Formats: sequence, C-alpha cells, structure tokens
Amino acid sequence: MKRSTTALAAGILAALPMAGFAADSSDPIVIPIHNWSSQIVMSNVVGQILEGMGNNVEYVTTDSQAVYESVRLGDVTLEMEVWEGAFGASFRAAMEKGGIVDVGDHNAVTREDWWYPMWTKDACPGLPSWEALNDCAAVFATAETGDKGRYLDGPVDWLKHGKERVDALGMDFVVINAGSAAALWAEIGAAEADKKPVVVFNWTPNFAEAVWPGEFVEFPEWVDGCDKDPSVGPNPDALYDCGNPAKGYMKKAAWEGMEEKWPAAYAVLEQISFTNPQIAEMAKMVDIDEMEPEEAAEEWLAANKDVWMGWTQ
Amino acid sequence: MTTDAPVISAKNVWKLFGSAPEAYLKGMKPEMSFDEIRADGYIAGVKDVSIEVSRGEMLVIMGLSGSGKSTLVRCFSRLHEITGGTIEVEGQDIMSLSEKELIELRRNKMGMVFQSFGLLPHRTVLDNVAFPLEMRGQDKHARRERALEVIKLVGLEGREDYFPRELSGGQQQRVGIARSLAIEPDIWFLDEPFSALDPLIRREMQDEFLRLQQLLNKTIVFITHDFDEALRLADRIAIMKDGAVEQCDTPDQIVLHPATEYVRKFTEEIDKARVVHASTLLEPGLSGEGDPVDAAASVQSLAKLLIQDTRVAIPVAKDGTVIGAISRETALGILVGTD
Amino acid sequence: MADTTAISATAPMSRSKLASLLVGVAIVLTALQYLGFLPAALHRLPEAFVPDFARYLDAFFNFVKDDLGLFTLTRWLTGLLQTVLDTTANLLFGKRRWPNLGPIPWTAIAASMAVLGYYLGGWKMAALVAVTFCWTALVGQWKIAMETMSVLVVAAPTAFIIGLSLGIAAWKSPAFDRTLKPILSVLQTLPFFTYLLPAVIFFKVGPTAGAVATTIYAIPPMILMTTLGLQKVSPEVVEAGHMSGCTKFQLLRHVYLPSARTEILVGVNQVIMLCLAMVVLTAFIGMPGLGAKLLAMMGSFKLGRSFEIGVTIVLLAVTLDRMSKAWVVKQPEHFERGTPWWKRHIMFLLALGAFVFFCIVAQFVDVASEIGRKQSLSVGKELDVGIKWFLNIEWVKAITYFLRAFVNVQILIPFRNFLLSIPTPAFILLITAFALWLGGRRQAVTALIFFSLVALSGWWDRSVITLYSVISAVSIAMLLGLPIAIVAARTEKWSQRLLLVCDTAQTFPSFVYLIPAIMLFGITDIAVIFSILIFAMVPLIRYTIEGLRTVPPEVIEAAEMSGATRMQKLVNVELPLALPTMAVGFNQAIMFAFFMVIIAAFIGTQDLGQELQRTLAGTDLGKNFVLGICVSLMALTFDLTILKWSSDRKRMLGLEE
Repeated sequence: MKRSTTALAAGILAALPMAGFAADSSDPIVIPIHNWSSQIVMSNVVGQILEGMGNNVEYVTTDSQAVYESVRLGDVTLEMEVWEGAFGASFRAAMEKGGIVDVGDHNAVTREDWWYPMWTKDACPGLPSWEALNDCAAVFATAETGDKGRYLDGPVDWLKHGKERVDALGMDFVVINAGSAAALWAEIGAAEADKKPVVVFNWTPNFAEAVWPGEFVEFPEWVDGCDKDPSVGPNPDALYDCGNPAKGYMKKAAWEGMEEKWPAAYAVLEQISFTNPQIAEMAKMVDIDEMEPEEAAEEWLAANKDVWMGWTQ
Repeated sequence: MTTDAPVISAKNVWKLFGSAPEAYLKGMKPEMSFDEIRADGYIAGVKDVSIEVSRGEMLVIMGLSGSGKSTLVRCFSRLHEITGGTIEVEGQDIMSLSEKELIELRRNKMGMVFQSFGLLPHRTVLDNVAFPLEMRGQDKHARRERALEVIKLVGLEGREDYFPRELSGGQQQRVGIARSLAIEPDIWFLDEPFSALDPLIRREMQDEFLRLQQLLNKTIVFITHDFDEALRLADRIAIMKDGAVEQCDTPDQIVLHPATEYVRKFTEEIDKARVVHASTLLEPGLSGEGDPVDAAASVQSLAKLLIQDTRVAIPVAKDGTVIGAISRETALGILVGTD
Repeated sequence: MADTTAISATAPMSRSKLASLLVGVAIVLTALQYLGFLPAALHRLPEAFVPDFARYLDAFFNFVKDDLGLFTLTRWLTGLLQTVLDTTANLLFGKRRWPNLGPIPWTAIAASMAVLGYYLGGWKMAALVAVTFCWTALVGQWKIAMETMSVLVVAAPTAFIIGLSLGIAAWKSPAFDRTLKPILSVLQTLPFFTYLLPAVIFFKVGPTAGAVATTIYAIPPMILMTTLGLQKVSPEVVEAGHMSGCTKFQLLRHVYLPSARTEILVGVNQVIMLCLAMVVLTAFIGMPGLGAKLLAMMGSFKLGRSFEIGVTIVLLAVTLDRMSKAWVVKQPEHFERGTPWWKRHIMFLLALGAFVFFCIVAQFVDVASEIGRKQSLSVGKELDVGIKWFLNIEWVKAITYFLRAFVNVQILIPFRNFLLSIPTPAFILLITAFALWLGGRRQAVTALIFFSLVALSGWWDRSVITLYSVISAVSIAMLLGLPIAIVAARTEKWSQRLLLVCDTAQTFPSFVYLIPAIMLFGITDIAVIFSILIFAMVPLIRYTIEGLRTVPPEVIEAAEMSGATRMQKLVNVELPLALPTMAVGFNQAIMFAFFMVIIAAFIGTQDLGQELQRTLAGTDLGKNFVLGICVSLMALTFDLTILKWSSDRKRMLGLEE
C-alpha cells in the first residue's frame, strides 16, 4: 500500500505546476472521518491528493455533529461533507460563533425523506405517492401499532419532524424513532428476508441505495417556509405539511486558519466537487466490495485521474 | 556505663487505647481497675508497669493472650507510643528521641522476632536477612557477607535463595531470628517466637535458642504464653494480667512464693521439683555434713538422693565451695508436692 | 392529608411498619391521580420549580475552564499526552511521528508476547496469546487493533500510577479517604457518556480525549484495590520493617507495596479490563481503532464484520485478563547458586530473540510485516449470510413475534405506562420505603434525597423510563438466570463452563448485541430490554454460582444427614446461605443494567441515555452532567441499599470473614 501511495505522489508531483503557491506548513492537515463510508472514502481521496502534493495528512474519527466545534477550534482542519438537512444547523451555529469557513458546494445534492425498499411496492403498488402510502397504512402495521402503519424515523436529535408531518397530513401512521443509523439498517435488513414492507427514514447519497434499491416517498413538494408558516403547504393550519427539499446542498467547510497555513491545499479544496454518482461509487467500493477505505480511495484515484487532476491545476 | 546499670528501665508505664488516652490518664483516679477503665471506653494495654532488665539477662514476659505482654514489649521498642511513665534504654529516654534517632536506635541496638515471622514474602532468605542492613545503607557486598554469616549461625546454609513460602515454619522463624541478629543488636525482643510452631519443632527451636544465647549473650525480652517455655529459658519471669505485672521474679521464687492468687493458680499445675534449684532452698543457719549437692541442681534431679539419704541437712556447693545447706524435709516436701 | 399527620404522631416505629406506611401513602396518592383528584403540581413537579442546574453547571464549568485557566492547563497537558501517544502510535502502527521506527511487524509482537505468555502461564497461555494475535492479523484487523493498543498502553499505566498514588494518599490520610470515597462511588456509577464530553472539550477530539476518558474511567478500582491491599498488610510485617530501621519512605517502598502486591496486581487487572472496555466506547469521541471500526461497520450494516471485531476484542480482553491474572499468582522463583546469567534471564532473551528475528524476517517477507485486506481471511460476508439465515428460521420468527405481540404489548408497555402514571412524590416514597425496608433509616434518607434530586433535575419522565428498562431487564434476567445458575452450580464442570460463557458475554463489546436485538425484535422496548438482559444476567449467574458453591460443606453434610431431599436442601440450606452473595450479584446486575441502558439508546429509547447521547454532539457540558448525575443517583440508591442488606445479612449469618 505504501508503495502505491509513493507512486501516486510522484504522479501528482509531476502533474502539478507547483509554482505560484506559497509553501504549505509541514504540520499535518487533520481530516475528520465519520461513521459512514462515502465520507470516509471521500476524506481519504482528498487526503491522498493532499499528501501527493507534499502535505502531511492525518485522519481523526469524530462525531459528525461535534466536528464543527472541532473545526472552529482548529483541532480539525476541514470537513468534506456538510449535509444541508443533517448538519446544516450545527454548521450554521458554528459559522455564527466564527472560526469556520464555507469552502463551497459539491456538485452533489442531498435528499432526506421517507423511503422504502423496492419490494415494498409489491404490497403497496400506488407508491411513491404519499396518498397511496397512506391508503395502504395497514400493510405497515406491527404488533405494537395496532392497525396503524409504522414509520421508522431517524433519531430524535436529527429533528426530522416525522410526527408533525403525520399529524399535519392526517396520516394513519405511528412514528417510531430509531436510536441510530445502524438501527435503521437493522430494521431494513430484518425486513429484507421475507420482503416485509417497511417505510423508514433514509437519505441520499448513501450506501443503502446500492444494498437495497428503493425510492423516496413523494410528499407535497417543499415550499420555503413550510416549517415556519402554517399557511404554506396543503394544510393551512399546520407546519411540516410538505416533503423535505429534494435538492439540499452538500458543502465543504474548513478552519478559517487553513487558507493561511496551507494555501495550496486550500486552493485545491476550493476546487474539489464530487457528484452523486461518484459518491455512491465510493460508498459501494467499501460497502459492497468490502474494500478498506484507504484501498478504495487509491483505486478511485487511479480510475478517475481525469476528474481530480483538474482540481489540482 | 557500668555493666550493672539496667539496659531497659521502665517506670510507671501506661499504655491506654481509646479516643483521648493522654487526657484520660491525667484525669484518672489512681487505683482504677482494668474493668473500671474499660467501662470508660479505654483499654489498658499496659497498666502502671515498672520493670528493669539488666545486661545479659533474659526476662520472660508471660501471660495469657490479651494480658498486655506484646503491648509492653512494643512499648520498649517504641512501636507503640506510651501514654504515661518513662522508658529508658541504656539510660536514654526513648520517648524523647526524634524519629531519626529512633530509627538509628533500631538500626543499631535492637532486634525483634515475631510470632508469625513477619517475613517479606517477595524477598529471598538472603534478602530478608539483609533487609535491616540494606535499610541502614550498608553496601551490597558487606551486607551479603554478614547475612550469610547469620544464616549459617541459624543453620540455614544452602537456603539463601529460597523464598519464605518455600520453607517450613521452623525454617521461616530461623530466617526471622537471623534477620533480627543481622545488625548485631544488644537488645533482643522475641514476641512468642515459637508459638506458631509444632510442639516438637518448638522444643528443638528452644534448644537452638539457648545455644545461640550462650554464644551471643544478649539482653533479651522474651514473650510467651507457655509457662514451660518460660521456665526453661528465663532468668526472671514477669507474669502479666490485664496489663499489669502481677509478679516479676526468678522461676524458683515464682513457684515457691507466688505473690498473688492469680500467679498461684498459674503455678499450681507446675511440677515444682523441676523448677526449684538447690540454691533457692538454702536455709540460713543450717549446715550439713558429707557430700554436698550442686547449687544449680533441681530438686527433681536430686530425688533419688533425697529419698535415700538420711541427713537432716544437706550441704550445697557452688563451684566446689560449700555455700550453705538445705533441709531434706523441705526438699522432700517439694518433691512430693505437699508444700 | 390525614396520613401525613399520622407519621409525625407515632414517632418511633419499626422499620417495616414505617415502610408499609410510606407505601400506603404512595398508593393513596396514585389512586387520587387515577381518580383525577390530584393537583397537577403533585403529579409532576411544575416546570417553574425546576432549578436550571444545567445552566448553573455550565456557568461553573465556564468559570473553571476560562477564568481559572483550566483550559490552558489541559490543552498544555494535551500536547504532552499527544507526544506520548504519537510515539506509541508510531511504534505500533507506523503513524509518521518520532521515533519513525514503526510499525513493528506483527509477527515480532506476536512472537515476543507469546514468549511472555509462556513465562507467565506456560504453554496454554502462550497458545492463547499466539491465537489472539494471529487471529487479529489474519482477519485483517492488525492495524486497527494496534490503534486501540497504542492508546491502551498509555492509558493503563497512567491510570495505574494515578490510582496507586491516590490509593496510597487515601490510605495515609483518613480525611482524604473520606472525601474520595463518595466521589469514587459517583464516578463508578456515572454513565460513560458523561466522561466523554468533558474529555473532548478539555483534551481535544481524538486519541488524547480517548486516552483521558479511558484513564479516568479506570482509576477508581485501582484506588480501591491499593487502599485495600495496604490496609491488609500484616501488622507484624510492618513492625518487622520498623524494627529493621525503615524510614517512612523505605517502609512504603520495601514493605507495604511489595506486601500488597496481590491486591495491587488485581487492581492492575481491573484497570486493563476497564481500559479495554472504555477504549472501544471512546469511538464515540473520535478514538480510532477497533471501536471506531465497529461503529463504522454497524453503520453500514455489516454484521459479520462487526461480529469479527467483537471476537477480536473478546480475544484481546481474555488474553490480557488471563495474562495479568497469571502475573498476580506468579511467584518469584529462585535459581540455584551458580546459575549463569543467560539461564536466569532465558525468557527475556528468548523474547528478545524472537522479536529481532521477526523484525529481520519482515524486511524480506511482506506477509510477516503486514497483512493487507486482500490477504486476510475475513469471513464477514459468510457470517452475514449465517446471521440472516438464523433470523429467518420460522420458529425464531414465531418466538420473536410472540414476544413482541405478548410480552411487549401486554406486559412491558402497560408496565411502563403504569410507572409513568405514578405521581412523582408517590414514586419517591415507594423507593424510600424499599430502601428503608431493605437497608435502614440511613439508606431511606439517602434514597429520599437522591430521588428528590432526580425529580428536581427536570428529567423525571426519562429517569422513570430508564428505571423501567432496568427493572424489567433485571427481573427477566432473574427469571432466566437463577434457574440456569442453580442447575449449573450442582457440578464443578458445569459451573466452570457457564462462568466461561459469562466471561465471554461480558467482554463482548456491548453494542455488537444491539443489531441482532433490533433484527429480532425491531425498534421496541423488548429489543432494549433484551440487550440489557444479556449483560444483567452475567453477574446474577456468576454470584449465584459462587454463593451456592461456597456454602460450607459441613452444613450441606448436616442437611444430608438430616435426610433432606435435594429440593429441601436447596430451599432450606443452600439458598438462604447463598442469598447475601447472590444479593451482591443482583446489585451488580442493576449496575450493569444502568450501564447498558445508556448504550441501548442506540436502538431508540426515550430515556436518559438518548438525551445523553444527544449531548455528545454538542458542547452542553451542564446538561450532560445533570443527566449523568441522574443515572448515578438512581444507581447509587440501589447500590447502597442492597449492599447494606447483603452485609447485614452476612453478619447475621456469621459469614463475614
């Protein structure tokens, strides 16, 4: 593995017109790693690109919410995946306190909403419309929910307002909160064996798409203010009566001292932009092909020279 | 210092256990009994003890468990701080010593042997014996040499590298004895050294101990609850009860003239003929004729002679010189136990 | 109310009478609640009366952190710690830092550790060590395992030194001991999430915070064992030291510490085990290594791989445990005089030789130095299939469905709702009555104060739900565990086997259980209780077996000679005598349940654990502490009460040593 990294480094050095940049500090650039694969691989890809430019790079595993505080303090240098829906609040809070900068969007868009694996469609053919989902609520009933359907929402602290939406749209569903992403997968995994219909919270880009093909439920389209103004959306008296935005941003963020300390690396970071298919591919290499993230990153870099070479120019 | 000055001299020593013993002792009425003191929430470990030990003497302190004998000996070495009175060791008030001086005293003058040996389990025989030398900072070579010497003295050659758990009880106590002798102490405290041993081994160790004492001639305070052991070893015996010394005298005198009822009960079962020596029975004004008996002979050893002889008075000789005479009737009385 | 005046009227009352009176009041209050007569303020403490502890604490923390300069100090310490961690990280997994020698080839570590194993415990131990390290390398987890170890080798010695020093200080100074004791009790019952957040804030996210949290978590038992060991040193040995002319320091260094060796080493063993348990959990705050990998694997639903990591952790734990225990009983051996130097140090030389040999081999043979993902023998995918197959068996599904439909819907949920419906004061009275009846007045007062504090914290409902999970899990654990333990305790062989299972279950990283629990039961209370259950059963079984097997044989023989049948013997002789020991197990089961219920937040709960987990993502130190203390207070109430009962009972039966 070490050998191939060196070869890669040589390749990058040859390709880079290094002049024009002030020299980067030799202190390590600290890249945070979270607990989902696409982010880990993407961080490794970026890390290896920066290493190729002669920077020292280190990875730390951090909580995906707490990381913004660490970026602010400079304990961590950058963050590759800032999801609008999941981390927007933490990111904005950190921005207000200062110390963290927005380094631009990826090409990729994010979406988080009610989701079902494909086999669910057999039991409820009207999907993906939410009215159709509501009509076959009984299909999703379990021992605990009686004749109502069961919708598994993300952890409470993700603040996805599933319960409010059920009330606002008058749906026959009981909302249960999972404790973690792993709990969501376990539910889908348990349902997979006998193709039991389930509807759970999910997002894209995500490895789950590759493991369990599925679709998002189509709720009334998101309108700005749907979460603040009751009159917006189909139910005039309720908040959260729309689906989530179908095209959320995915940003890059960095410690405000990065630009000064590692100017070259910062310039590259500004250029970097991944697309949805690229992210899905990265996740797949680890989640389906069982590669180690470092190996997956190497492989991706080798196969996509034309993509990333441009960023380093 | 003259040789007849006492090595250890204790005067009115008190050791009280409780919450504020000093204050209590100060305000205490004299002549309070052990039980009265206990009723006030204090235990009199040592109760008004005055005792002297002279150079080269072996004083045996004897008593049942809880009588305060171990406490007393720990006061002598200041393992316990006394509550009242004074203790002088070679003329020096040990209560006035600083910690440093006390450590010096222990490092050079005192040795102690413990009932359950008190060996350090993680050290070999050699290192255990050399421990006091190590503590006083002797160099490795010198302390090894000295340790080997005492190990040889107690008959443990060849076991230097063993750990205590690899030795029998008797052997472990030999290590304890060797350790206490390593610094060549003048004063030797032995706290029931043989009580934890089997009777047969105990006997053997007592012989061994007598042999050592003849060789070394230390000033010894020996504690035991075994009267036979006390009689075998002691120059003088102090009998303790409830922290106080009931009587302190030679074995002969204790047997013949018990000072208190408690001591009398204690000595009741003892075969006096075995304990009492001819020299003790000398009667002034009495003079006998014929072959003298040895002053150091016990009445028991004279049994045959006493029964067969017809003399009223039998002369007693010490080192070949007649020093007086004993009455045959008195001696016979002791022999048959009618006294 | 009439009842309350009755209490003050009859002042001296027997314990049980007073307890039943308290229960009576509680029932009346609850009945009033059901009838709708109870004012809302008596049902739940009105929001307005809840003091904002979190804010006070935050202000306090900020004061300490910024104004007193603690932050500067800890950040300086962080730098120091970072240097040490970087060094071990370089050696063990080749992080690019001074001394730039690493990574040491896995074969070299495995071989020299195996020799150490042989030295400590003979061939069996050597084999265990070899198997553990080879497994770790062959399944491709060497690097992550070493990431974990690189922190462990720093945290464990640090915890040892701090624990030993504090232990000595506590033994020397009774006043210090008295202040330390309650702090230790709280530390030992505080949920680990509460250790994590301050660690991150003060010691930077990543291995430094992980090392600090791990160290702090492991210190209490070291302190307790040190103090215990020093207190147990035979007075004669100490006197022998005095009479040998020891100075105070010499006495400590040459007499006390070596004589307390056994207890101190037991402390070391506990430090290692706690460090290993914690070092996995610190993955939540960015500790790389086995824990982080485990979380990542669970996050991408790779059951087989997470299971493999679990096995690695168990193997490492068992190996370290056995090795340190072997060290405890290992006695120094003597060599005959004249043994040459090399023979005296043969083991050390062998280890060194193996180490150097494999270091050289690794230069030429890649596999000896590092096993990459592709060469590894991981069977993760196959395990995935196996687990899914098991979960899909018809009867398994039938059982889980029954449990879900009946136990969950008919028993657990109504029980929870019932507990939640009890008015706060009634609930506190019930707990107080329990403490009074079992422990005594002192315990009752403690319970009253502790639970009132919980009520004041404003997290009452979540606390009750936490308690509900604990009570349900421990009750079920008793129903299942006690019969198993009683049967196994009949023979030595089965006792040993069962204890081995217990050991394994206990060291298996707790959150590996969570996924199967969810797959079996869905995100329901029963999944939560199931995962707690596994943990809670372990001490119950262990102490029941120990209690039953340590009943004095004369008593059993006497019962047999009296013509008792097996059942009569069990009921009339063995169980009563074993009960105090079993109570200790029961107590530990509750403590473990409190520990696990916090982790079970991963499944999805509405208890304190879930709130605690949320605080981890922020900087809410105050709230984090309030929640942690709530858990600690509830756990301590049970701890104090049950242990008091157990020791009273032991004294009554004359079983105390």
